[in-house]
Amino acid sequence: MSTEQAVLREPTILDQPEQRFPLDLDVRIPKIRKLFHAATRNQWDPKTDIPWDKLDLTQYTDEQLQAGREYWSRRAWAEYGAISESPALLIRFCHHGLEPDLRFFFTIRSQEESRHAEVCYLMAEKLGGYIAQPYVQKYQKSVSTHGVRRMTLDPSYSLEGVIAALVCAAEEVAFDAFKHLVDVSRDPVAAAVTKAVMRDEVRHCAFGWDYLNYRMPQLTEAQVKDVEAAVITMIEKVEMNGYHSPWLAPEEPASEAEVRADRIAWEAGLGATVEELEKPVFVATIQRLRRKMAPWGVTLPTFHHPKIGDF
Amino acid sequence: MASSDAGRITPILVERRFPVDLSHSIQSIEDLYDASKRARWDPNSSIPWNQLKPDAYTAAVRQAAALSWSRRAWIEYTALPETPSLLIRFCVELDREVDPKYYLSVRSTEEAWHVEVCHRMANELAGYVNQPANPAYGAVFNGTLAREALDADNLLDGYVAAHCAVEDSLDLELWRGYLDNARDPVVRAALEHCVEDKKRHAAFGWLYLEARHKGWDDAARQGIQAAVETYITGMELRGYHCAWLAEQDSAGNSVAADIVEADRVTAEAGLGALTPEQEADILRSAIGGARERLAALGVAVPDIDDPRTGRF
Repeated sequence: MSTEQAVLREPTILDQPEQRFPLDLDVRIPKIRKLFHAATRNQWDPKTDIPWDKLDLTQYTDEQLQAGREYWSRRAWAEYGAISESPALLIRFCHHGLEPDLRFFFTIRSQEESRHAEVCYLMAEKLGGYIAQPYVQKYQKSVSTHGVRRMTLDPSYSLEGVIAALVCAAEEVAFDAFKHLVDVSRDPVAAAVTKAVMRDEVRHCAFGWDYLNYRMPQLTEAQVKDVEAAVITMIEKVEMNGYHSPWLAPEEPASEAEVRADRIAWEAGLGATVEELEKPVFVATIQRLRRKMAPWGVTLPTFHHPKIGDF
Repeated sequence: MASSDAGRITPILVERRFPVDLSHSIQSIEDLYDASKRARWDPNSSIPWNQLKPDAYTAAVRQAAALSWSRRAWIEYTALPETPSLLIRFCVELDREVDPKYYLSVRSTEEAWHVEVCHRMANELAGYVNQPANPAYGAVFNGTLAREALDADNLLDGYVAAHCAVEDSLDLELWRGYLDNARDPVVRAALEHCVEDKKRHAAFGWLYLEARHKGWDDAARQGIQAAVETYITGMELRGYHCAWLAEQDSAGNSVAADIVEADRVTAEAGLGALTPEQEADILRSAIGGARERLAALGVAVPDIDDPRTGRF
């Protein structure tokens, strides 16, 4: 351990003793156990299951390759965030002795997040080299963390809120973005990567909805309000701040450079997209979230973003 | 494994996300990660469950084997919160390599498969038992590994040495023993798949220590030694893997006597267990072998002298 590194000293679920028994391992939420088994059957390997030999760099300019490197590196940072943060949810599921199906599914979900980080890294490498951080430090604020680990380990924080915010909201935004990217990626390798990731993301989203459709009716009104607040925070402070889409980040030279790179990579068909195409996708995602969460008693307000207006 | 510092706030390192270094730096662990991805299997379809014939065994044997496999599920379950905690620790600690992070994400899935296999095997035989008959033995499983892995006051390399190298090596040898003793073809198929995964689990610990040991100073070596000793005395000598090492109650009876007897019956029936005598041999051999490997890395772990095991 580095002696220079900051340490957080706040109460977490780790401070509380484990009570393992009785240890229930039976199927309690069949839909989620099926997701675990489907994920087990559908594993893939970024090194061998992507047709890397079809990547023809000669058809791209240096500028396009550079933009592609930047785009895929940024995707890798976002996927890496999931490796670094979302395993905390598995710790929380175990700590609370929640339905075993959740615990099983989240083991393989973390593996899938690793695959996604690895495949994005490999794509950036193939295009000329992975970039380990934004060129402009200020942009790190938009892509650094969504705070899930800290919230998840905090016993006072609503677990259902974390799942609703991270899985139902953020993962749904990511899934729709990947679905859109499949349509706009002309490069066969970029398209193969986005398809492979999207297939996993289907299960990630399904997990959130399956669990909360099961769980939300059991919550009190106050707990439902906690969930609502968590989702609103995720949309306003994380997604609308450019976590997945740089054009949503506050306008400043840092994010403008990322937006420019995305446009060049999109024009080349290398996997990125642009504001005018992604805006309706993002708005539709938020509107769908609003409709799907309404039966839980969660009311998402009208959001406002300077690039979108009210939505 | 039992908590000795209740009420203490676990210090957790604050992550500095950037730069996100995703370049491979430990080739041996990258190879292990790639091998794990290639070795993927499915507990539901890779084991010929429909060939299991519980009726070929007496009710007493089935009950014993169900208990042996249930306890194995309790042990395997430890990994479900532990591995994500260790993965997070690798992510939050500055300058830790990406290869262990990728590898641990796959290991976590394999551990879930092992729990599922043990649970299903117990159910197929006579029914899964969801807790020890004696709560005193259950206390051995109420662990703190998820906390220890993330505790900033603990050396990460010490944790890896104790639980990924030494413990996983013992675990592998015990499972190899279960397999050697097993005659039922379905039980053997289940054990074979798990043993293949466990070979990589144990390899991970040693490969990581080999990659790191040149950077250790005396304080690090002492910390690693202490972590290994704490693990052996706090978990193994309390009967975590070997039930015959569990404590005795006030009447002088083992709190895990039912498990010990069940394992003996399961072993004799060829349903995948070991007798206490066989486990004792494996324990001495595995810990002895681990001590030699640690010594080669500059970490001296003293002999253990326990009346139940002898000096090893």
